[in-house]
Amino acid sequence: MNALYDFIREHLQALAATGVLPQPFEYEFVINALLCAVLIGPLLGVLGSMVMIKRMAFFSQSVGNAAMTGVAIGVLIGESYTSPYFSMFGFCLLFALTLKYTQHRTTLANDTLIGVFLSISLAMGASLLLFVSAKINTHVMESVLFGSILAVDHTDMNVLLVVTAICALIGLPLYNGMLLASLNPSLAHARGVRVRSVDYLFVVLVTLVTVACLKIIGAVLVEALLLIPAAAARNISHSLPALVTRAVLIATFSCVVGILAPMQFHIPVPTGGAIVIVAALVFVVTTVIRATTARFRGASV
Amino acid sequence: MRGPAIVFDNVSLQLGGTRVLDAVSFRVEAGTLHCLVGPNGGGKTSLVRTLLGQMPHSGSVRLEGEITTPLGYVPQLLDFDRNVPMTVNDVMALLGQRRPAFLGSSRAAKALRAAALARTGVAAMGAKPFGSLSGGQRQRVLLAQAISPVPWLLILDEPTAGIDEPGVRLVEALVAELHDRGVTILWINHDLEQVRRIAQSVTVINQRVSFHGSPAQWENVR
Repeated sequence: MNALYDFIREHLQALAATGVLPQPFEYEFVINALLCAVLIGPLLGVLGSMVMIKRMAFFSQSVGNAAMTGVAIGVLIGESYTSPYFSMFGFCLLFALTLKYTQHRTTLANDTLIGVFLSISLAMGASLLLFVSAKINTHVMESVLFGSILAVDHTDMNVLLVVTAICALIGLPLYNGMLLASLNPSLAHARGVRVRSVDYLFVVLVTLVTVACLKIIGAVLVEALLLIPAAAARNISHSLPALVTRAVLIATFSCVVGILAPMQFHIPVPTGGAIVIVAALVFVVTTVIRATTARFRGASV
Repeated sequence: MRGPAIVFDNVSLQLGGTRVLDAVSFRVEAGTLHCLVGPNGGGKTSLVRTLLGQMPHSGSVRLEGEITTPLGYVPQLLDFDRNVPMTVNDVMALLGQRRPAFLGSSRAAKALRAAALARTGVAAMGAKPFGSLSGGQRQRVLLAQAISPVPWLLILDEPTAGIDEPGVRLVEALVAELHDRGVTILWINHDLEQVRRIAQSVTVINQRVSFHGSPAQWENVR
């Protein structure tokens, strides 16, 4: 894959050198980040719209917080502190599956249970990160929390590519079943959907995507990019295809503009923050469109 | 060809310390229109859920015969977030196709869907938000998804609840047509007059089976 990345990068850098593309394209790390953005946008758009419909917003937030604990565990066990993927994937999957397992075996309301797990993950993440902070550079912590395009390397790009492939190969064929299982489990059963299995699978996919996007967007903000594009798309959509397509476009647009704009205009903000601010602006615009356009006022009943 | 027979053999179910079903045993013959009646909380919907494989239970539930299509199921009601931007066509696509619903439908799937919606009298509602439909209209859509494709086993959980008189007649006509084609139909029904009129066999359930036989026999023991 590295040869492919180099091929794309060299061509884009050549175009930037001749003035066809803006100046930030001359930098290797910008192109790395943009290649990630092209994968992250569709991933978060498709998955985010489902997270919104399934009302699992706080779930993805708690997984993002769990990733902080994963980073800290990685540092503690001696993993590379710039890419502690083994610890992040391991801990986050354990955390998410435990949450789901508990959800199936308790009478507590979903939001209460997720709130409990959210608090646990935040407390563990903050405590362990402060504990290991002496061992690592403050900028590493910053990039974990808020994302950094400077930190994106080929390993991160490969991880994102593999996660995208997993989501496409497993998530797409089971998309209808996963959505149906949350709308009406009995109907889903009747249609041959293994409701509990697809429930767990969805949790695994959200966790994989959350961790894979961490380097660019950051643990604190990854959940925001999962939700805001979907919420913005919902403002101006009447149907499922429109919702997902617009969520994908908004997420991709937010990622690309959020990466390029601070570079182009020399604004010293972390990538994750810039991406989420762009997404939030799009959300505001779609909210205004919805409030002022008769066609969209009826988009939801 | 006929639909499968359904055999409930000593089915018991306990939920949170409450016994919902107690040693329920009866058989629904292949290709019959069978009504399940009983008081609220008597375990009818729970029994259907054991048939769908949704409830952990003791005893066995099995189908006897060949099943070549997915079973059709119309739930009692579909609790649906009215704000979810999903049209009737989207809901039908979710239920009736392998391709992810957000990627649209093939021409064949669209034709099948349109025919089913037309059959239940909601042909013009395909592009409407599902959340904006009345209870009766939703039931018609749910009925449409259950017959697309035509199933060999159709399970109805009070499908006429909230439906107007023409809607009830339409459901009865549709069920009669499917029954004539050999489809096995299990119908949870509270309308005793309707049961007497349409059913071939009846089971009365109140945690246990308190009656199993023909509607005429049931009239005699009531």
